[in-house]
Amino acid sequence: MTTLAELQRNFIRDCLSGKHKNTNVLLAKDIDTSHISASGLLGIYQGSSIGNIIQAMKLTYPVIEKLVGEDFFRACCKEFISAHWPKSANMDDYGEEFADFLADFEPAKPLIYLKDVAQLEWLFHLSSLASDSSPTDWTHLSTVKADDALQVKFLLAPFVQLIRSSFPIDIIWEMNQPNTTVNKEIDLTHNIDKQTLLIVFRSGLKTEIMTVTEGEFALLSSFNHQQSLAIAIETIAKIESGISIDDVIKKFIELNIISSFKVE
Amino acid sequence: MSVISGVGLGLRHRHFQEFITDKPDVSWLEIHTENFFSKDSTAAKYLARIRQDYPISAHCVGLSLGSAANACPVRAQHLQNIKATVDWLQPSLISDHLSWSASDKGHYLPDLLPIPYTEEAFDVVVKNINQVQDVLQKQILIENPSSYLSYLNSPIPEWDFLSMLVKETDCALLLDVNNIYVSAHNHGFDAQMYLENIPITAVQEIHLAGYSIDSIEGVDVYIDTHGHEIYDGVWQLYEKAIERFGAIPTLIEWDTDVPELAILLDEKRKAEAIIAKVSVSKAENKQSA
Repeated sequence: MTTLAELQRNFIRDCLSGKHKNTNVLLAKDIDTSHISASGLLGIYQGSSIGNIIQAMKLTYPVIEKLVGEDFFRACCKEFISAHWPKSANMDDYGEEFADFLADFEPAKPLIYLKDVAQLEWLFHLSSLASDSSPTDWTHLSTVKADDALQVKFLLAPFVQLIRSSFPIDIIWEMNQPNTTVNKEIDLTHNIDKQTLLIVFRSGLKTEIMTVTEGEFALLSSFNHQQSLAIAIETIAKIESGISIDDVIKKFIELNIISSFKVE
Repeated sequence: MSVISGVGLGLRHRHFQEFITDKPDVSWLEIHTENFFSKDSTAAKYLARIRQDYPISAHCVGLSLGSAANACPVRAQHLQNIKATVDWLQPSLISDHLSWSASDKGHYLPDLLPIPYTEEAFDVVVKNINQVQDVLQKQILIENPSSYLSYLNSPIPEWDFLSMLVKETDCALLLDVNNIYVSAHNHGFDAQMYLENIPITAVQEIHLAGYSIDSIEGVDVYIDTHGHEIYDGVWQLYEKAIERFGAIPTLIEWDTDVPELAILLDEKRKAEAIIAKVSVSKAENKQSA
């Protein structure tokens, strides 16, 4: 007699193996197939599982769905799922590899900007789920000794994400939001010289996307890598002359994008 | 923690803002616990506001209570996530299904898969329910599943299996009337007889939802999709359930192609009308007796 553990192993193996002939269904010997074949019955559960995963993907990648249309999105997801079954019961963890998948998915290849848009949506998803930062008493910053000032390390809030793209993914994202009023002509050719630099962060109940300059992006990237103020200044000087580091830091502290600091 | 009563709605992302700004007249709301694992997430922040105005019930879909796997990392981690969420949310009720989703090989299928109703499976489910109740330090409600296949070795009727679980673990039941209706069609049992075999005091919550019909190899199979209005047959069975179990807190579930709130509120009013009708009828019968 089949044990429960064996039965469940067979059930999963059958479902993950995709379409199969009746003779190959491991579960066939344990289920009633007098009205519907074993593969027909398992197909219901396969379809339902895939449908549930697609529901989760629709929540994480609504812009991709809007860009490619519902049918194409479902087809993409089905291909993606067949190679990436969930490993966790927490569906928030699911779908990280979708951007890379889209870049390699033959029918989607003409839409060369999809990968970057999917990456932006994944970072938006991560930002929405991330922890809050702990409150910081910024008055302590004024107590840092002058000699140590350049060794200060500013830290970004856990919900901050940075992304760079050669496509105007911020405008694509905006144009595909529900009830959007944005409608622009955009250049979708790959342009390495025209970079879109974005930060994703949270403000109150909202997750937001903001365009930043090369200097600001470099500064935040430097802080993201836990580099000292001295190294950050050196990096930015090479990229954007005339930038006021004080003003930029102040702006990002006010937005709670820079959330704390430490001196080592 | 508030006691819930009346008819509630499943809280879905598209309606968050309406529950904050319009405060529609709904007795309570049910969440999918798995959508709020991150306490600081934007979704959890919306929920924190909404729960100031509405009692909340936590419905889980991933505890995999029917899994035979002894040391399943998927289940263990999931239970810890559920505990963390329940600890901050303090829901009025906590529930999951009589089903499984995770195997001992670390695989997970995001669906509510059926178990055979055997002595072996009973022992497994009892052990898993006890573990969950021990960790959460709370009673949980077990929901009857909808199913599309029957195991050849499944000698215990589902209603008996559920009744035995209540007796053995002190869990309560979440009776999904749509699931009974769907499974009764798919497996050919009498839905009303199912209701009559469920212990009256065990039921603490009822679910109502819509199903779809798929033709598989020429056979009509009812599928529990939660994406439609509730069918007449389910409403009729619901009336029988209210007659038997009383005015149990009832949830309108709608998970796929979630419609505008007005449609859910219409379904809620239909359920309220049935509760009122049964209540009047019971009062009249009492008087005439």
